[in-house]
Amino acid sequence: MNRFKILIIEDEPIIRDELRDHLQNAGYKTDVVTEFQDILSYVRKSSPDLILLDINLPYIDGYTLSREIRKESNVPIIIVTSRDNEMDELLSINLGADDFITKPYNLQILTARIEALFKRTYVNQSNNVLSCGELILDIAKGAVYYHDKQQILTKNELKILHYLMQHRGTIISRETMMEYLWSSDLFVDDNTLSVNMTRLRRKLEKLGITNPIETRRGLGYVMS
Amino acid sequence: MNILSFSHEKLPFLLINVVLFGLFSIILWKIHISFEMILIVGLAWFVPLIIAYLLEYGKKRRYYQHLIDYQESLDKKYLLPEILERPTFLEGAIVQDAIEIAYKQMHEHINIYKREQKDYQEYIETWVHEIKTPLSSAKLILNNRDIDYGVIQELDRTEQFIEQVLYFARSNNVSEDYLISKFSLREVVTRVAKKNAKDFIYKKIKLYLGELNEMVYSDKKWVEFILNQIVVNAIQYSKKASSEIQITSTPYDNKVVLQIKDNGIGIKKKDLPRVFDKGFTGETGRTYSKSTGLGLYLCKRLADKLNLGISIESKQNIHTTVFLVFPMNKSLLMEP
Repeated sequence: MNRFKILIIEDEPIIRDELRDHLQNAGYKTDVVTEFQDILSYVRKSSPDLILLDINLPYIDGYTLSREIRKESNVPIIIVTSRDNEMDELLSINLGADDFITKPYNLQILTARIEALFKRTYVNQSNNVLSCGELILDIAKGAVYYHDKQQILTKNELKILHYLMQHRGTIISRETMMEYLWSSDLFVDDNTLSVNMTRLRRKLEKLGITNPIETRRGLGYVMS
Repeated sequence: MNILSFSHEKLPFLLINVVLFGLFSIILWKIHISFEMILIVGLAWFVPLIIAYLLEYGKKRRYYQHLIDYQESLDKKYLLPEILERPTFLEGAIVQDAIEIAYKQMHEHINIYKREQKDYQEYIETWVHEIKTPLSSAKLILNNRDIDYGVIQELDRTEQFIEQVLYFARSNNVSEDYLISKFSLREVVTRVAKKNAKDFIYKKIKLYLGELNEMVYSDKKWVEFILNQIVVNAIQYSKKASSEIQITSTPYDNKVVLQIKDNGIGIKKKDLPRVFDKGFTGETGRTYSKSTGLGLYLCKRLADKLNLGISIESKQNIHTTVFLVFPMNKSLLMEP
């Protein structure tokens, strides 16, 4: 669904592979650096849309590398580190990194930050419109269309529908849905989710869709 | 030191001289020496003596008066030997030399400990840094394979304890490991909320956030750590049903107060004054058997270092509220 390519620069093989798998599952193209002697020319060759950069690398440290990359490219860089203090964060940002995440990270948060950074950097190219058959979701406008009818969604409803459409056909548990919403700064509780779900269903029904979101008792929601 | 106490000390010697002179004058008088002559001998005897004493008094008074003045005015009393001038009289010089040697040795001695503590702190920092790599790997592996069974939550708790170690090491007196910057309360609160998202969601705890628009000056990471400890406590001591945690802020003229309120099991009145003590778990902590008595102690210690106020109010079975007070310096705020 998106064609962005993420380059992972991380010397710990397990973390590298797991990150790659996760990002691929999330729909990104990935590339990894395995030789750390000459990362810079690898970066040039790979020409990624975003770089995940570990600070602690053999031969060269992440700060220097990020400065070197910045000299020749504006590619967004997220620095990943297990050092956790204000000084490191400032240093990374000053050296041209766009974001800073500390280990051990939560994958939901990592994905949310990557998405946000993509949105910020490639705002014109990013797909602001998501479609599912005749149903069209315009994220920028916060509206959903079905045949010629339109419904305006609230922020919560928009996020819920977005997630369900992205994971069409799979059952999303209430908890997973809430974790996703929390990772986007929407701190909803159980009741709020139910209310939002009901409202969203009603809006979709108004558009003329019958049973848009199914509830699987004890499991979660699914959109077909 | 005054003339009275000084002469008091010299009194025995003077008295001996007076007695000796008395005996001597009796002998002189017996061999028919004239009264005038005896008086002259007396003057020759006592005038130099008294002049010598006065000179000595002058010298000593200067030195000891300095000693007392410095001692009283010095903030760090142990620095005394550094600023005291060398005395011009013998005993003073001997004592001063001895004190200086002792001072130098003590200095070296303390430096050894300082170095050791710094080494240890650096080791802890490195260790924490290293342990996070396998921890990250483990979490990533579980995440990618959709295996959970509560393991991730246990890893999160492990991570929390590791953070505690790090901040404990940073909170000692030698360390100056913080950086004051301007940030919004919402930013920090949001980060902490996300960090604990799983707990909130699975334990069905409602989170209510106020506007939190205020900007404060402090070290962001330290504040995040303090806030996280408070929130973790609030989650841990929540009741089974309809739990809620409210995080709100109130601006005042010269401070901003961040308030974290839960409707959990609360703290017993008699335990309340001691919750910030090291190792204090209280009855609640012991019943729940998870408490180490370190969380709030560390919060207090870090808050003190950052000049933040921290206090706690509670009513058993009703609520616990923690207040975090950020002082706002007006002169700082007026800067562009």
